[in-house]
Amino acid sequence: MNPYWGNNFFTFFSTFVSRIFHGNFFASDEIQIAVLSFVAISCGLIGPFLVLKRMAMFANSLSHTILLGIAIAYLVAASLWGGGFFDLSTLLIGAFVAALITAFFTEGLVRFFRLQEDASVGLVFTALFALGITVVTLFTRDIHISTEAVMGNVDLLQMGDFKISLFLAVLNFAAVFLFYRHFQLASFDKSLAQTLGCRSGLVHFLLLFLAAATCVGAFRAVGVILVLAFLVGPFLTARLFCHRLPWLFFWSSAIGIFASFTGVALARHLLSIYGLALSTGGLVVACIGLFYVVAVFFKWVICAKLFLLGKERCEKELPY
Amino acid sequence: MNFDFLDFFLNPVLRAPTWGCILMCLASSLMGVLIFLRKRSLLGETLSHATYPGVCIGVSVFALLFPEHEEWTFLAVLGGAFLSSLLGLKAIEWLERRGKVRTDAALCFVLAVFFGIGIVAASAMQSSLPTWHKQVQMLLFGQAATMTDMHIAIYGGLALLISMFLCATFPSLQASLFDRDFAMSTGIRVTFLERILFWLLLLSLIVGIRSVGVVLMSGMVIAPAIAARQFSDRLQTVFGLAALFGALSGLLGNYFSIIGSVALSKGGQTLTLPTGPMIVLVGTAFALLSLAFAPKRGLVFRVGRVFAFRFRCLQENILKGIWKKGTLSFEQLKEAHQIPRFSLQWTIWKLIREGWAIETAGRTFQLTEDGRQKAASIVRLHRLWEVYLTEELGLQVEKVHRTAEEMEHILTPEIEEKLTRLLSDPKEDPHRQPIPERPRAL
Repeated sequence: MNPYWGNNFFTFFSTFVSRIFHGNFFASDEIQIAVLSFVAISCGLIGPFLVLKRMAMFANSLSHTILLGIAIAYLVAASLWGGGFFDLSTLLIGAFVAALITAFFTEGLVRFFRLQEDASVGLVFTALFALGITVVTLFTRDIHISTEAVMGNVDLLQMGDFKISLFLAVLNFAAVFLFYRHFQLASFDKSLAQTLGCRSGLVHFLLLFLAAATCVGAFRAVGVILVLAFLVGPFLTARLFCHRLPWLFFWSSAIGIFASFTGVALARHLLSIYGLALSTGGLVVACIGLFYVVAVFFKWVICAKLFLLGKERCEKELPY
Repeated sequence: MNFDFLDFFLNPVLRAPTWGCILMCLASSLMGVLIFLRKRSLLGETLSHATYPGVCIGVSVFALLFPEHEEWTFLAVLGGAFLSSLLGLKAIEWLERRGKVRTDAALCFVLAVFFGIGIVAASAMQSSLPTWHKQVQMLLFGQAATMTDMHIAIYGGLALLISMFLCATFPSLQASLFDRDFAMSTGIRVTFLERILFWLLLLSLIVGIRSVGVVLMSGMVIAPAIAARQFSDRLQTVFGLAALFGALSGLLGNYFSIIGSVALSKGGQTLTLPTGPMIVLVGTAFALLSLAFAPKRGLVFRVGRVFAFRFRCLQENILKGIWKKGTLSFEQLKEAHQIPRFSLQWTIWKLIREGWAIETAGRTFQLTEDGRQKAASIVRLHRLWEVYLTEELGLQVEKVHRTAEEMEHILTPEIEEKLTRLLSDPKEDPHRQPIPERPRAL
């Protein structure tokens, strides 16, 4: 019996807090919140670099190609050591393969075939995704798995997913902590990075791998497309008010986590009160979008207020 | 079940999907050329995803208002998709201009948020309107098989509309594509034209999602454009070829989808291969083949040209070497050129076959009369260029040899004649070496 059964938006939070204090955890809703929050943390750490390096659409491509990556990794893992589709090792190999083939083909088309970059990105990921769908459909003989890959299904999350998303969040945190300088240099000033002897190609690939791994972690929960909202949305929202990179990580993650809580609680509320079973992942993403709109509105209000106080102060408080 | 290929065009059940796919892909690949040339290929990706919430909401509204007219659902699909992708376009523009967000982040954000809202709407339909939910799910990856003749009429009409508009506005379109400011100065209303083109782009995208699906539409839009661009620099030809490639990928994609589904559905189990991935894979195959094998621009031809030039340089250098020494052995040649034994052997074999050189006893090589003349003309070009560099351009004598070493392979007889006249037919180069006479005719 789910303890959240029949809760509305506000009692959801009180139930959550009281359950935490009593040391109970891992009801279905709590796992959802935990997984989505870890996804939000991973995305909050990687997303800023991706946006700053103008690689948001590349992240889009990665999130699509992980389907083929996981399919390939599964074939390898199943034949070599009997690994399952959603094992951690399969997923990590899949992320690695996805990052590798996406980067290889996208760069290859630009460099050797002289294709313009936007077209190369667009062609490669749709083709690889189409291939991924076909391969998965052929092997599983099930068309629903490709729909689920696109939409995600939060209701199917289990303890295994919790562990995977926790691991990926820790991995991302460790990588960003260790290579913070490298990532920062590579995103803001590539030539300086090269002058200082930073292996920018390697850093670039590490970032790609982490992005792919993050997408893999979010694969079951929100599918390949909604993870992009986690990568970009909280960062854009945070950037409206904050301009220091370390704080941006914090606020991006915080906004993502907040959206996860709100989304899950909202889904529960709608189910209890109106009997509407809505997609939790979709609701979380809608919340991220809504937060951005609200943040823009607040910034506009603040700016208008400051404008009344005087133009100079407005410029000082709001750098752009 | 066995299908004749002609059945796909004539059979009353099969012809609707076939013609539908052909017409839709044709229209979207025409618009694809425009966004490809504007370098905004990824716009199609975002806008096609942005259609999804509109489709869901449109269909649910339609289902609540006219529950008994299920065959007209596609009108709700078209209307809802158009409105929401227009909203998506506005959102991108707002983010870029007012929100100061970079293009890629704006595209990504709008894509994900709109699709998320779409998924919420779709999940709301799942329990309350299950049959209609199925129709919406079908649009994710495209399902051409359920189309009827009426759909062809509508989709074909839209495809025709798009092509006619492109034909009618072609001159001004061409001008604004190549030089926006020039087009404006000649009195073309560029912004108005662009707005209409964006609307047509949306139209082609929402028409296409029926067969290709929301998720893969962007690939369908740009793949034919990429393929067509490889073959021509003329806009008309690019449009024509893109339409051809688009129509072919629609046709073959649908064909493979049906054949594949039939082949996989043995033993009572049905499995439908969605049309979208098949069409996109065929389109990508066209694009990749053109990128590799198109004349002039294709990778194979470009690499071929580079190798042909290198091979000619090597041949000419060998001829020159033998000409200077009279005869050279294989080992000496190998030492001079530092290339693998096999390729040197092959080059010399070609030289002998073409009648420039002959092999004499002990693996040494001499030139034939033709070879001597050819070598003399190369050396003449080399030394003429050295004279030109020192006398006309005032370069130091010790610096001219290296450029001359390259230029001797590039200079044409025409340039040689002009150089001879300009330098008044010199007899010695700056290093006091004699310049060979002009050969009579090669």
